[in-house]
Amino acid sequence: MKILILNGNPNPDVHDFERYLARFTKILEEKGHGVALHTLRDMKIQPCSGCFNCWVKTPGLCSFKDDADKNARAFLAADLVILASPIIMGFISAITKNAMDRIIPLIHPYLIEVNGEVHHMKRYDAYPRLGLLLEKESCTDDEDMTIIHDIFKRAAINMHSSLDFVHYTTIPAEEAADAVDIH
Amino acid sequence: MRLTFINGSPRGVKSNTGILMGHFLRGFFEKDGNVCDVEYLVKHRKDPGVLVDIYKKSEFVIIGFPLYVDGMPGSVKQFFEHLAPLVGREGNPALGFVIQCGFPETHHTRFVEKYVAKLAKRLNCRYLGAILKGGCEGLAIQPPFLTEKYYEYFYQLGRAFGLEGAFDATLCAKLARPEHLSRENLEQVIPFVNSALWDMLLEQNGAKDKSFDRPYQS
Repeated sequence: MKILILNGNPNPDVHDFERYLARFTKILEEKGHGVALHTLRDMKIQPCSGCFNCWVKTPGLCSFKDDADKNARAFLAADLVILASPIIMGFISAITKNAMDRIIPLIHPYLIEVNGEVHHMKRYDAYPRLGLLLEKESCTDDEDMTIIHDIFKRAAINMHSSLDFVHYTTIPAEEAADAVDIH
Repeated sequence: MRLTFINGSPRGVKSNTGILMGHFLRGFFEKDGNVCDVEYLVKHRKDPGVLVDIYKKSEFVIIGFPLYVDGMPGSVKQFFEHLAPLVGREGNPALGFVIQCGFPETHHTRFVEKYVAKLAKRLNCRYLGAILKGGCEGLAIQPPFLTEKYYEYFYQLGRAFGLEGAFDATLCAKLARPEHLSRENLEQVIPFVNSALWDMLLEQNGAKDKSFDRPYQS
């Protein structure tokens, strides 16, 4: 399986998360998966400006010429995209959210109905499944985890995808990698 | 009352969030002595500390933003991260939100609403609530028969807030309609928006024939 991991840890000094992610990635590779790891803090990705040029001026392409282009290409090429992020102020990191905001050129502006709701139409035939790998804050509680889960379940609908799992770094990296296989 | 409105729209001054809040503030200013400082998040991107200081010193703060990929825009999340040193602090401002989305149903914003409510709790702020509204893409080009009612509700919400320092729950609920669309409405709204908004913009840019381009197709 082709797996894209977006490392959304903004702080390289958070060593535990980096070590966990390195171990997790290595296990996935040992299992035979093709893993691409994009470290978002080392990429130049401007925040989406909401201009919609990617929908109405240069369909499918963002006006900003930066590293979000690499993410978009790798996103489409993957079977599974894992957003790996420490939880900060109760949600995935800003750089992870920013990277996700810049994925919208991959969908079409036209509206369609999905299960009785309005969503956007596909631009491509297929999209990868989504998973979350998160590190809890000391104050993370069940409410925070439900909020994150529900928001990404919604985001997956708009990406014509599915949210396969939300794992936390409280479980061993081996277990998290095994669970990727199950999904 | 002195209010700080932080417009978190990445579009800054020319934003749908700003249009809606303009009507809110029209009502808010009806009470003598009410003052509002409007801050644009995009203008503070290089020095967010300034905005954090403004936030700290405020008595009432409303943060407005559009729904991006089912949550807050990344730049708004960045601002929330800059507020981390204020978690649990005594004396944080009363905090409310205005969240709008382009989808016609307000329901899409209900998930991030839970996040902002928790954020206010995390910051030890008195939570004013969230004013939520769907159907807000292209407000400037929507026909008046669609927008007049929204604007009137925002005006009334602002007026009530200016008097009482609280969001009127009944007005919020009325404004939020429709939460979902009926089958009949889905069949009307979808082709209407696709044609009146997206096709119009695509044609304006000479891009309609490229609308389904797949530049990343391998």
